[in-house]
Amino acid sequence: MHEFPVLHFNNGIDIDISTFFAITVTCLVVFILARLSVRNLSVDKPSRMQNFMEWVLEFVHNTVASTMPLSKAKTYVSLGMTLIMFIFVANLLGLPFGIVTDHTEEFSLFGQSVLSDARIHELHDQGKHASIAWWKSPTADLSVTSALAIMVFVMTNTLGLTRNTKHYLKHYIEPFWFFLPLNIIKELSKPLTLALRLFANIFAGEVLISTILMLGVVGVPLLAIWQGFSIFVGAIQAFLFTILTMVYISQASVHEEH
Amino acid sequence: MAWNWESFVFALVAFGILYWLLSKYAFGPLMATMEERRKLIAEQMNSADANRAQAEQMLAEQKQVIQDARKEAYQMIEQAKQTSSKQAEEIVDKAKSEADRVKEEAIREIDSEKNKAVAALRGQVSAMSVMIASKIIEKQVDEKSQEELVNHYLNEVGGQK
Repeated sequence: MHEFPVLHFNNGIDIDISTFFAITVTCLVVFILARLSVRNLSVDKPSRMQNFMEWVLEFVHNTVASTMPLSKAKTYVSLGMTLIMFIFVANLLGLPFGIVTDHTEEFSLFGQSVLSDARIHELHDQGKHASIAWWKSPTADLSVTSALAIMVFVMTNTLGLTRNTKHYLKHYIEPFWFFLPLNIIKELSKPLTLALRLFANIFAGEVLISTILMLGVVGVPLLAIWQGFSIFVGAIQAFLFTILTMVYISQASVHEEH
Repeated sequence: MAWNWESFVFALVAFGILYWLLSKYAFGPLMATMEERRKLIAEQMNSADANRAQAEQMLAEQKQVIQDARKEAYQMIEQAKQTSSKQAEEIVDKAKSEADRVKEEAIREIDSEKNKAVAALRGQVSAMSVMIASKIIEKQVDEKSQEELVNHYLNEVGGQK
């Protein structure tokens, strides 16, 4: 396993460069993609990219609130679109290549230690190379997926409390009052499963890729197959995360008439 | 691999900024376009309905106009027929009356010519008979027997004629 390039600042802030870099790249890619697709917006003659974006938008719109007109559901649809694009691009980011550097002595960046002498010696004592992986999927980092999941959790509960207060509070004691602990566990498990599912899928994919890489030439067909499958997994996970977010939002904010 | 709160915060902030940028510069315009298209389609459907109603109305009007034109044409033909037959009758009548007139004139002329001829003949015959009588008979004849004689000759001439 490679080391992660963490900048240890003196004031106690640790910055994981690979995660920060990957998040920035993902945001840039998503923004450029989105801008490209809406470059020549046309009412009557949409381009292929615009058609695709409209298809995604309609899809997200249908999952969150197909009964709500587009102008009202705008916030949710935008959120869903951002989520699905961000997660999809993030999932694919770690697939095509990796950037790994080997180090035999202390390595520092911006005057801050990234890989200390002590850690290198420790690894050497275990009979391993000290190497840093600079490139990975941001979603292969639990910090990122938990950030997304907690954002969704806070948002859905805030929406439920402010827009749909009575029914939101009531659903905790349904069907009977002693279901309250169960319902609370259910609510808490939502962000936990969201974060862990996404993280585990992508992280496992990357671990498997680095494992296959150890096989050398023999592993090439296997690697090709696994990378293809990882694209599929990345798309599925992005889809799942978005769908679940939308379902949670509509559960919390839309009151169903009985 | 440890949970790193700096990455957590950075991911949150980055996602927030990305959301804001995308909704402002990408999805906002996209949704506006889609909304515009929806309106355009509704508008076009409305105008299509209106056009169809108008077309139907115009078709009805056209039918009415054609009907009227046909009626008018029929009337005109009828009128023309009537006029032509009347004219033909008039012409025939005129021709008949003209022919009658010409015939009567001819008859009158024939009569007058005949009378003239008869009168002339009578004058000549009477003169000649007087001459003949005076030359051949050479005797004095009184007025009464003279006339008797002339009439006798005339009757003979008329009978021969």
